[in-house]
Amino acid sequence: MTKPRLAIVATALVVLLLAAIPWFGSDVVVQFGISTLLLAVLAQSWNIIGGYCGYPSFGNSTFYGLGSYGVAIAMAQWNLPFAVGMCLGAALAVIFAFLLGLPVLRLKGHYFAIATLALALAMTAIVSNVGIAGQNIGLVLPPLNNDFLFYELSLGLLVIATLVVFWLTKSRFGFGLIAIRENEEAAAVMGVNTTLYKVLAFALSGLFTALAGGIHAYWITFLDPDSAFDIGLNVKMIIMAVFGGPGSVLGPVLGAFVLSAISEVLASEITTVAGLFFGVVVVAAVVLMPRGLADLSRRFKSEGWRYFANNIKNYRL
Amino acid sequence: MLRIGASVAGCLLFASVLAPSVSSAADITLGASVQLTGPLANTGRYYKDAYEFAVDQINKKGGVKVGNQQSNLSLKIYDNQSDVNLSVRQYTQLVSQDKVDFLLGPFASNFALADSAVSEKYKIPMVQGGGASDQIFSRKFKYIFGTLAPASDYFGSTVTMMTKLKPEPKNVALLYADDAFDVSVATGTRPLLKKAGLTIALDERYSSNATDFNSLLSRIRSANIDAVLVAGHETEILNFIRQAKSLSVSPKMYSFTVGVPSADFRNALGADADYAFGMTAWLPSSALKDQWFGDAAQFAQAYKAKFGYEPDYHAASAAADVEAFAQAIENAGTTDPQKVRDAVAKLNFESLYGTIAFAPNGQINLPQTVIQIQGNQVVPVYGKNGFIQQPKYPMPPWNERVASGSAKP
Amino acid sequence: MALLAQVLLNGVLLGGLYAIMALGLALVWGVLNIVNLAHGAFIMLGGYLAWHLFTDLGIDPFLGLPITAVAMFALGYVVQRGLLNFVVRAPMFNTLLITFGIEVVITYLAQLAFSADFRTINPGYAGNNVKLGSVIIPEVRFIAFAVAIVLTLGMWIFLLKTRLGRAIRATAQNLVAARLYGVEPRHLYAMTFGIGIGLAGIAGSLYGAVSQINPYIGAALTAKCFAISIIGGLDNPLGVIVGGIVLGVIESLALLYVGATFGDVASFCVLVAVLIIRPSGLLGRTA
Repeated sequence: MTKPRLAIVATALVVLLLAAIPWFGSDVVVQFGISTLLLAVLAQSWNIIGGYCGYPSFGNSTFYGLGSYGVAIAMAQWNLPFAVGMCLGAALAVIFAFLLGLPVLRLKGHYFAIATLALALAMTAIVSNVGIAGQNIGLVLPPLNNDFLFYELSLGLLVIATLVVFWLTKSRFGFGLIAIRENEEAAAVMGVNTTLYKVLAFALSGLFTALAGGIHAYWITFLDPDSAFDIGLNVKMIIMAVFGGPGSVLGPVLGAFVLSAISEVLASEITTVAGLFFGVVVVAAVVLMPRGLADLSRRFKSEGWRYFANNIKNYRL
Repeated sequence: MLRIGASVAGCLLFASVLAPSVSSAADITLGASVQLTGPLANTGRYYKDAYEFAVDQINKKGGVKVGNQQSNLSLKIYDNQSDVNLSVRQYTQLVSQDKVDFLLGPFASNFALADSAVSEKYKIPMVQGGGASDQIFSRKFKYIFGTLAPASDYFGSTVTMMTKLKPEPKNVALLYADDAFDVSVATGTRPLLKKAGLTIALDERYSSNATDFNSLLSRIRSANIDAVLVAGHETEILNFIRQAKSLSVSPKMYSFTVGVPSADFRNALGADADYAFGMTAWLPSSALKDQWFGDAAQFAQAYKAKFGYEPDYHAASAAADVEAFAQAIENAGTTDPQKVRDAVAKLNFESLYGTIAFAPNGQINLPQTVIQIQGNQVVPVYGKNGFIQQPKYPMPPWNERVASGSAKP
Repeated sequence: MALLAQVLLNGVLLGGLYAIMALGLALVWGVLNIVNLAHGAFIMLGGYLAWHLFTDLGIDPFLGLPITAVAMFALGYVVQRGLLNFVVRAPMFNTLLITFGIEVVITYLAQLAFSADFRTINPGYAGNNVKLGSVIIPEVRFIAFAVAIVLTLGMWIFLLKTRLGRAIRATAQNLVAARLYGVEPRHLYAMTFGIGIGLAGIAGSLYGAVSQINPYIGAALTAKCFAISIIGGLDNPLGVIVGGIVLGVIESLALLYVGATFGDVASFCVLVAVLIIRPSGLLGRTA
């Protein structure tokens, strides 16, 4: 079999294996699985706007929150089914991406990051005053005792998101995004409609993030502004994408799986220093392997342990 | 001969090592996910300490009698880092992986609200002492019980007392944070104030974790409000009092839902804490008899000796949760979750926390005693039978307060 | 009318406190292009240091400001020289991530060291005030405001008029040229970050005297400081005073006229508006 064919078959096998876990895994493994899969979706969606398009968004938690609230309001306030809620959440996210993406995407570099962060902070404050969203108390959703369903939904969403990213690497749209990332002015000169492409990328990223938020809300059956628009989640998804390798197809997924595993093991074994370790891991990763696991695995063969020293040498003052 | 003797001795030694320890039945495990780190940790820690304290004491007194056997209690506590989502996952882990027998609760209403979904899903009873909001108990769940008195009644005895003060406060400001518990308190307090004939001159919801009360305080001053009732969190109330002092705002009285019973709150404010009213459903009184601790006063003394700080109603509530399980298991004669759940629902016994008995919706019903800080001491002033001691009322303006020596921590 | 005057005054004085909080962040960001997400955590550490000086040694928080400033300067120097210098030339984004990691670590260590109990710095004069007509001016906040003006002007003079300040700005703008002139960039960067953290320490002492300190105040303070820095403008050291006062007044007015839950809504919506309309801030040159 040719190399790409082999890769496809291998990936398909992994997906099937993951899909089979609820049958032979314990309840806790399934819960951990749902949580990790959703984080992987978040990392992958961030990858679209941050990894491929080069616009590091610090505000994807806004879309996550909109998706969560879409489902929560539809189900808890209007008694509509889950699917309708998901559509509502997705619609809210996409509209938001277009409305606010346009002005915000004009900003470059860290100003864009700060602007998206500000959007997330503003949304938290605004939603905690909206009556139909339950204000700061939040909403309680009707409980559904079916982790199996949530697991498969999350896995399905991750597969679709990854396929979309894969399609990006082969499509004109994707090339346009990469061109924008590398040199936006040159891309515009070459005829790429940078504004349209950027906003589309933002909306696509927001769409998947919102869907993940919707699943999460129904699964936990409870949300409030702080947990729905959690800034920490924002940073987590970025770290996972960057740790895995932004701008690659499977990097963010890998990063999410590895970091989630570390974090969960810590939280259940050495609970008191779990958070501390996470911070240390982040610091170490940024210093030693700023281009992520994907880059590490590619270059380790040729550079060996000096890979880490080289990174430091390249980026230090 | 010597060899036979040696081998017999060896066998005896071997057998004694292998012999099972004295407890004849497996331990009964209670599991909980508590805030040990994160913004809620300063209160969350009371729960961990109290759970451990109660379990140790019960075991010291022989453990729990299940049928014919004596079993010891043991604890499994996780740190949820003040993260609701993590606490839900940890409760799931406690039930499905660690296979604990019963569940104790976290601190805070929003945590109890989310975590009770787990106990209901797996049908394992949870007795929690950290959440008082009405929402927790209005979902017709059968496996959640609470030892904190209902939020809507927190100001009940305070309002009654206010009608008996001379001169009676003419108008009231009702300020409350926007989280589940405090909104419940406000919703319950409004009709009480109306029934008592007090005018609500200011009724404001403010953001949880707010640090700036200057605007609200300026409004209170310019409207000459006599009484201020605040339902909020310790850090907010701390800021409120400090800013009240710096803006010279001193109504005739102010009362707070939290902070006043806690030692570290009083230490942080020093002499500025004087005159503040609060409420507690529990006081370390020797009138509250308990089969494991003797009485509440002895409980408080032993607790302070062990942990270095005085227990407040959070700690007592947590200890009560453990005792509730001990009593229920003995009453049921088994550790079957369903039977123990039914036994918990039927409980009615005296403990260091007062009478432990749950209403049909799972929540305990205890009256609040009005307390006041007088010279860095917490003094009960008004209970269900009227005035216990005279409150210091009205509160003098800040610059006329007698400096009774600032209490340095 | 008196109420409005009081609330406006509250807002302006709050602005002074805000300015001190944000000054260190704005310095490091504007000059070194390092976005320090851990800034609030350093403010918290400064607060704890001042609390220990006050409680254990009886040193007044205002008189102890130089001690706190120097100690925090040393900490900042070490952090920059020993850690942040290693990622300065990486994409700017990496400094966001690494400072986030540092924030997590500092918060956890603070919780382990100091417990989650909150602390206040409560000198005898902490609640004093002066009455001017029908308006009340809290003393501590007023002094903090004065300190803010002095420090901000001092920073402006330092960066624009002194040799060291010009050297720092030059280094940040053109590393190669600076090296050619014999400037040691690692040392200068560390000095600048140290100054930024020293300022955070001062902010912490003042914050502890008007509010309370616990290990978790860092994140919210950082968010506020962001807003203040951006609204004021990063190019100009005087920006934080403008940003602080504008934010303080808008928040106080929103709390008074819109509702007591709208403080944060006001701040962050203003921030978003400034970013969209004039990202260089009120005092910045157009970017």
